[in-house]
Amino acid sequence: MTGAALERRDGPQGPVRPAKPPPSPLLIGGVLGAVAVTGVAGWAIDFSLTPVIEQWSTLMMILGEVVHPEWAEITDPTSRLWTALMETAAIAVIATFVGSLIALGVALLGSKVSAPPGIYRVTKSVMAVIRSLPDMAYALIFVAVVTGPLPGILALTVFNVGIVAKLTAESIDAVDQGPLEALDAAGATRWQRARAAIVPLVLPSYASYVLYVFELNIRASVVLGAVGAGGIGQLIMLYFNRADYPRLAAVVIVIFVAVIAIDLLSQALRRRLV
Amino acid sequence: MTRATATRPNPPPKWPYTVAGLALVGVVLAAGWSLEDARWERLPQFPGAIWQYAAQMIDGVLTWPGAHPDGQADPDLTYGDWWLQALKLMGESVALAWIGTCVGALVSFPLAFLAASNTAPWFVRMPVRTFFNAIRAVPEILLAVIVMLPLFGLNPMAGAMAIGIHSIGSLGKLTLESIETIDPGPVEAVVAAGATWWQRIRTAVIPQLLPETVAFWLYRFEVNIRASAILGVVSAGGIGALLNRVLRGREWEWGGIMLVVIIFVTILVDQISAALRHRILHGAEATAVAA
Repeated sequence: MTGAALERRDGPQGPVRPAKPPPSPLLIGGVLGAVAVTGVAGWAIDFSLTPVIEQWSTLMMILGEVVHPEWAEITDPTSRLWTALMETAAIAVIATFVGSLIALGVALLGSKVSAPPGIYRVTKSVMAVIRSLPDMAYALIFVAVVTGPLPGILALTVFNVGIVAKLTAESIDAVDQGPLEALDAAGATRWQRARAAIVPLVLPSYASYVLYVFELNIRASVVLGAVGAGGIGQLIMLYFNRADYPRLAAVVIVIFVAVIAIDLLSQALRRRLV
Repeated sequence: MTRATATRPNPPPKWPYTVAGLALVGVVLAAGWSLEDARWERLPQFPGAIWQYAAQMIDGVLTWPGAHPDGQADPDLTYGDWWLQALKLMGESVALAWIGTCVGALVSFPLAFLAASNTAPWFVRMPVRTFFNAIRAVPEILLAVIVMLPLFGLNPMAGAMAIGIHSIGSLGKLTLESIETIDPGPVEAVVAAGATWWQRIRTAVIPQLLPETVAFWLYRFEVNIRASAILGVVSAGGIGALLNRVLRGREWEWGGIMLVVIIFVTILVDQISAALRHRILHGAEATAVAA
């Protein structure tokens, strides 16, 4: 029997379990750090849930109005709501198209696969600065030049260039090296390499990024209107300031349905592309 | 036979792409034409005007913080006060984005287990998934004006809760997708050992899931910092409200200082969060190599 060796490791109720490894100091530090940041942040914004109880009746009163939307706004195709919605859609379409076209060029300048080292570093840093400003800030600056849909289109275009160029440049970084080597061996110029190998290889992912920013643009153009940059956001601010909750509810319903419809459509398209 | 090597294969037809491209251009032109009040003729004014504003903004940023700006009601006001005020409000934006992300993370994490196909039956899954999708379809600003401002008033709690509720939808969707793509091996092993539903989740699902999920939370925090600027327009806290007022008042020097603070803090938080995400997903060794 080998029992002698085994028995020594057995406790009175069978085999002894190996001890659990203690949690690593890094994990403890990380969790404590997160708790500390949460504490400071909660203190900074006066975190408190008591208004939920105190103001509950106000909320219920407003929701009571919201559940009776002004259906005439939705059923009448000549209403302000539909005009604003079409304007929002047009802004998103134009901004997505122009922004994506510029972004493809910028992406080629922003990847070490397609651009010389100096240029790609500069492009990357400029893009990081452009992306760090919220779309709202661009809209506010452009609205100072002229109001209406034009500043909205320009703000979203800048925003789209930032996102699509970043994602596409990352796809270019990860592109299959085979076709590139073949072209280099055949003596292709930078432009020929881009045209014949890089663009065809990244086209499916590029197309899916474009659809992704189109979804974002529909949401964002809702918001841009709030600073006077055209579209349905202007109606939201108008009805909010007038406390016209039934009309606001009609706007919410229309945005809700439009966003879900475009999500489903672009998901179906993206599944086919990738 | 030399013919096989001499002839090139025919290139695939190009006309479907041409037709699709022309159709797309047609849609864009129609969209441009439908915007009656777009005033396209004002487009050439933009480069000059933006250049002029940018020059004033840079002036404001480069001015010595102890100097007094012209044309302000308070004669003691200095550029330094503008810097401190912008930093304080940006701090509030970051704080409300963090609290919003915490709310989104804490609520979405348990719900995601009720929405994934390998941890919940279909009659539980469907309502939870519909809930996630519905939340994601409502922009934060609408949540803020309809629900949060009446509840919390014009203060940062309203913004934090609007961001938090919206984050439940997007974080829930990401988390449930990563639950569905876990390795089924450990789950089978604990099931074979007679684990209950809760033990299965605790010992086989959560350990596999946690690194990716925490990385999503950090990513969402980055997104939420940008979103918090928007909520300022409806006065739901953070730097957005003042930015809105200052830029609308064409106080470009002041606005320039605020924008520099926003850019600086956003990039700083992005860098810290990206480093943390890399460490969480790829471990200490990969991080040491990358650094």
